Amino acid sequence: MNPIRIDPQKALGEAQTFSQKLAAGMKVLRSLDEVDYGATAKEEVYREDKLVLYRFKGEKKPTAKTPILIAYALVNRPYMVDLQDDRSLVKNLLALGEDVYLIDWGYPDQSDRYLTLDDYINGYIDRCVGAVAQRSGVDKINLLGICQGGAFSLCYASINPGKIRNLITMVTPVDFHTPDNMLSHWTRSMDADLFVDTLGNVPADLMNWCYLTLKPVRLFQQKYIGLVDILDDKAELENFLRMEKWIFDSPDQAGEAFRQFIKDFYQANKLVTGGLKIGDKDVDLKNVKMPVLNIFAEQDHLVPPNASRALKQHAGTKDYTELAFKGGHIGIYVSGRAQREVPSAIHEWLAQR
Amino acid sequence: MSNGKSTQDWMKDWQAMQKQYWTAWTDATRSVKPEMPDPATPWHEGFEQWARLFGDSGKQSETLDRLMASAKGYTALMQSMVSAAAGKPFGENPTQAWADAVRQGFNLPGVDAALLNNPMASMLRGIRGEGARGFEELSASFAPFLAQAKQEGMSWLQAPAFGYAREHQEHYQKMLVAFAEFQEAVKQYNALIMKSSQRSFEIFESKLAERAEPGRQIDSLRGLYDVWVDAAEEAYAEIALSPEFRKVYGDVVNSQMRVRSQIQQEVERIGVDLGMPTRTELNSVHKRLHDLRREFRKTYGADAAAQIAALHAEVQALKHELAGKQGRSAPVVNVATPAQKASAAPKHKRAAAAAKPRAASRSSGPSFSDAISAMKGKPVSAKPRRSAK
Repeated sequence: MNPIRIDPQKALGEAQTFSQKLAAGMKVLRSLDEVDYGATAKEEVYREDKLVLYRFKGEKKPTAKTPILIAYALVNRPYMVDLQDDRSLVKNLLALGEDVYLIDWGYPDQSDRYLTLDDYINGYIDRCVGAVAQRSGVDKINLLGICQGGAFSLCYASINPGKIRNLITMVTPVDFHTPDNMLSHWTRSMDADLFVDTLGNVPADLMNWCYLTLKPVRLFQQKYIGLVDILDDKAELENFLRMEKWIFDSPDQAGEAFRQFIKDFYQANKLVTGGLKIGDKDVDLKNVKMPVLNIFAEQDHLVPPNASRALKQHAGTKDYTELAFKGGHIGIYVSGRAQREVPSAIHEWLAQR
Repeated sequence: MSNGKSTQDWMKDWQAMQKQYWTAWTDATRSVKPEMPDPATPWHEGFEQWARLFGDSGKQSETLDRLMASAKGYTALMQSMVSAAAGKPFGENPTQAWADAVRQGFNLPGVDAALLNNPMASMLRGIRGEGARGFEELSASFAPFLAQAKQEGMSWLQAPAFGYAREHQEHYQKMLVAFAEFQEAVKQYNALIMKSSQRSFEIFESKLAERAEPGRQIDSLRGLYDVWVDAAEEAYAEIALSPEFRKVYGDVVNSQMRVRSQIQQEVERIGVDLGMPTRTELNSVHKRLHDLRREFRKTYGADAAAQIAALHAEVQALKHELAGKQGRSAPVVNVATPAQKASAAPKHKRAAAAAKPRAASRSSGPSFSDAISAMKGKPVSAKPRRSAK
């Protein structure tokens, strides 16, 4: 039997509809202003170099006594956790009574080229943890690390177990050598020293290009073909553009931190094989003895689920919880399902501890 | 606006062309003996006109560019598929015939010969623009230097250098060797991408064959396109996760970095000759600054502060002990930390500083002295500072 039953008239109609939608949608696209982001009011509570620590303000006072500090990845801007009113992990956590802080790393320039992972983890994160703890009047805080920020949080919690009450990791790579990790596969033959010595800071545009080439057809053509379907819907179009803005609004990467991240994490996989040092401090995941909630996405093409699942066997905690989210690396913050499932899962897990 | 045409003129032109074209295609699909429209006027030309129309608007132009590029490719694919659907029956091997129609759809008129039957290469080449620049774009920045080096000829690559220009010649030789290695690596990379494209059509055909069962047949152009996308990504992942690709990818990256490094050295040499500051000099300053900051934190950081506090307490205890033995109180010695000294500074100075606008005070965050305290390991409370009154 013929696998394709495309009626010529119907096919022509489909092509014509596509063309008409595209033409009509152009008017809408042209009429839109620059999209904005950020749904929740926030106040600056600490600043150092280009880093700013924010505390989000909910509509009601937080009921949780222990605040949550969100440590996002360096490779994208952190406003993904508070993208817009109906797509905000932060807003939903606040509504549940949590007290939420966020580290905004800023945009490194060439003067930051010599920032190391020691500076980021034992420096910036440590001082932010201290600032949050002091402001809240607690000895220990809850740390929520996302993606690369999750790997940083694991390092920090391993070095400073006495400062973290509960650790939450989201889409966090732990085992960088799972067979399906394309990004890791590509970096293994790279000469990271030559790369950083030559480029200095790593350009964000190059990082984005690299991410797009993980799934070139899906991310560079199919996505925009799908866009035609919503071109006549202003609200949907704004959502798309907001996401598009986030995807390509990326900071350059501080060279030395990038060098160590590639060599120790991607190439040597030291987070699980051992021997990782951040500055002069040893990192051993067995020291991560506080309760851990590990959330990962089942369709994540950047951090494959197995790369995250590895935490279970390597963390020293006896209180380990895993949450597999049905979605991708980005959907875990912004999809409708994410709004329903992720904040409440975090809140309930914390409430039990 | 391009070509001096108004928006309305463009709209009219485009609509007229669309009407003419759709009429021709509608007639073609209805005709018993189809007469296809002139393929020299493909559908996607209309979109290119739109792209030109909106290209100058500035608003959402990046998204627009990406949308137009995708629409152009997709429209060409649709044209090929509609053409196939409107043509004669596919005969004994419809799967192969549809696959051929899709394959043909990627070969846009005027396409670079290197991209023929190679949709994956077209896709990868298309990934550029604001927010995403690959190695190809990185190369573009140093093209003039390479052109100059090439003009001097590849033939003396291995020739021994001598004379007053010895260093210069050796440098150019290294640059060209690096560039030749880069070109070879890119060639290997492109060969793998071509392999991925070929494999994508094999997978596509097998996916189509799976759809031959009743109830699973594809009845729309979009449905067919989506199956091809799945096949293309599957084929690409096979190649991209192979050991061969890992090596070639590393070769492309590393060889390009060697080329860039050589060119940077050349630029620096020229910069030094002209008395201009160089990247190396700036790096050196930045590195020293970071080293100093680390040394400062190490000296005044949390650990050091704890040690000093412990020593201070011990000294005080010893003094009390000594005073007890001597039957009188020990003199109290205050050892002020720099932060304490700062807080003891004349109040009018602090008030003046607080009243004076400065970069840090644009926000309600901590002051510079707060930041210094932070560098010493003391977390800072950043309540909005009161203005001096």
